[in-house]
Amino acid sequence: MVSFGIDIGSTTSKCILLRDGQEIIGSSLVVGGIGTDGPRKAVQQVFEAAGISPDEASVSAVTGYGRSSWKDADFQVSELTCHAMGGRFIFPELRTLIDIGGQDAKAIALDKSGMMKNFLMNDKCAAGTGRFLDVMATILQVSVNELGTLALTAQEHASISSTCTVFAESEVISQLASGADRTAVMAGICDSVATRTATLAKRVGIVEPVCISGGVARNAGVRAALEKALGVKLLYSELSQHFGALGAAVYAYRKSGAKSE
Amino acid sequence: MSMNELLARFHDVAANPSAQMKKYLAEGKKVVLTAPVYTPEEIIHSMGLVPMGAWGGDLVLDRAKEYFPAFICSIMQSILELGMKGTYDGASAIVIPSLCDSLKCLGQNWKYAVPGIPFIPMTYPQNRNNEVGKTFVKAGYRRVAADLEKATGAVFSEEALAESIKVYNKHNAVMRKLDEALASHPEVTNAQRSDVYKSAFFMTKEEHTVLAEKLLSALNETPASGKVKIVTSGILCDAPSLLESFDALGFQIVADDVAAESRQYRTDAPEKPEALDALAEKFAAMDNCSVLFDVEKKRADLIVKTAQERGAKAVVLVLTKFCDPEEFDAVPVRRACEAADLPFVLIEVDRQMADLGQARTILETLRDSLNA
Repeated sequence: MVSFGIDIGSTTSKCILLRDGQEIIGSSLVVGGIGTDGPRKAVQQVFEAAGISPDEASVSAVTGYGRSSWKDADFQVSELTCHAMGGRFIFPELRTLIDIGGQDAKAIALDKSGMMKNFLMNDKCAAGTGRFLDVMATILQVSVNELGTLALTAQEHASISSTCTVFAESEVISQLASGADRTAVMAGICDSVATRTATLAKRVGIVEPVCISGGVARNAGVRAALEKALGVKLLYSELSQHFGALGAAVYAYRKSGAKSE
Repeated sequence: MSMNELLARFHDVAANPSAQMKKYLAEGKKVVLTAPVYTPEEIIHSMGLVPMGAWGGDLVLDRAKEYFPAFICSIMQSILELGMKGTYDGASAIVIPSLCDSLKCLGQNWKYAVPGIPFIPMTYPQNRNNEVGKTFVKAGYRRVAADLEKATGAVFSEEALAESIKVYNKHNAVMRKLDEALASHPEVTNAQRSDVYKSAFFMTKEEHTVLAEKLLSALNETPASGKVKIVTSGILCDAPSLLESFDALGFQIVADDVAAESRQYRTDAPEKPEALDALAEKFAAMDNCSVLFDVEKKRADLIVKTAQERGAKAVVLVLTKFCDPEEFDAVPVRRACEAADLPFVLIEVDRQMADLGQARTILETLRDSLNA
């Protein structure tokens, strides 16, 4: 049995195909989320990647901010539930998941059995999210991934004290104008995201193992800064950005009985 | 009237406060606006005036920003906005209590922004439950009565106040009964439940008591069905899209600790030789509210106890953005819920939220975790 999960985010669309609730047989990631052609392209790509037709997926679930706009799925699930399921699929002992997406951040605490026992979302604010990194990368004329990699080479860390993206943008420009080292500024930007996210994560309670998911998880600079801010080792998977879609596929598989009844 | 007809009536009133105000004005009555959170409505009522709740509305803030900074309670901002835009025109006065810093700002701004509707302050003490506090409250009530006489030409008397206190105590009792009854009637949606409470601000208490009693009788005839029971807490929980989410996700509000809802009806004025003393005693006895000083934060335990008694599966704190008193209380409420193993979620709202996407995600996740 093949279950299909799609995560329609604010900036990207992700899909996962899962066989018998155990084996990932296809994944896709397309830039373009809610209100774009991204979801449709992501669906097309995941079935091409798996070499199966859409008819072969017997059950599906949609998650992410764009979930209510996608009418083709059997189930609609919140992204927190899906990220928790996806994280637990990859890291079976997982107890804390930190998700940093394009427009928000979430922290989820799981009990020993994997049940969600607490969760928090940040306020609707660009600070501490992928959007913050996008803005800063644009100023520094690097890609978001380069920003993270270069930040790791910094000898010093600049201090970005503003919590607001708009003010932080001015602060970064001022620092660059004052001759601050670019990598130090990049490290400061990663620290800023990490500090804000760590505050959120500490409020749900940090219990190891801890993993990071979402698009920002791919940023090595933020991962390093967050490990330092939390004082724990962060688990990371190449599929971290797909945890929402993966969780949706797991959810769909588990609920497949309900659909067939 | 059937239950649905009664609920439709509550909705009409709750959704059209301006029409209610026009109706009372057309009947030759004078209307006095009452701002959140607690105003001595009994005094207004006793003088033959109609108290009309002024809790703002879900509208775009434009002119209020001439007086308020951006990061302040949207309830206060929207009250001023409606005043400046003429929505309250025809009212003879507005009584604004001093129960939080934002309310104090509202009162001071009102004087200049809406000069056509006289501002009457009601200054409450922090320490209310001692003789000095009660004397202070009584003096404040005397001032409100005197200001009302000046603004409306109506006359205050202790005898009339004693009668009005009876009217309000009766309404309180009916609302408490209704609150209990609604907990076992999930067929009444959360939006309809909100209408019952909201409409009470826009009707005379005599009229609302009659309707509420009729609803109580009608409720007894309807069967119950299962939903996920929750308790709500906060200042205001009337945003249509939020209530729609509660309903769509299968939640039933079985009790609330909401300032605009049940908190209004918890405390009666006792019998006293002087009616103003009775009213001051009532304020002294009021408790379990973020704007009523309580160093022990007993409210947190009350929320947990209420949730347990009503069989609620979770507590949802609907936090009005930039409401300092509620933000201070959010921590002890969360801790009390955690200690009782009662799931707790916090949703931030304001008067301008057209999109409640994040709130919906939080509620969906809560539902998923409760159903897991």
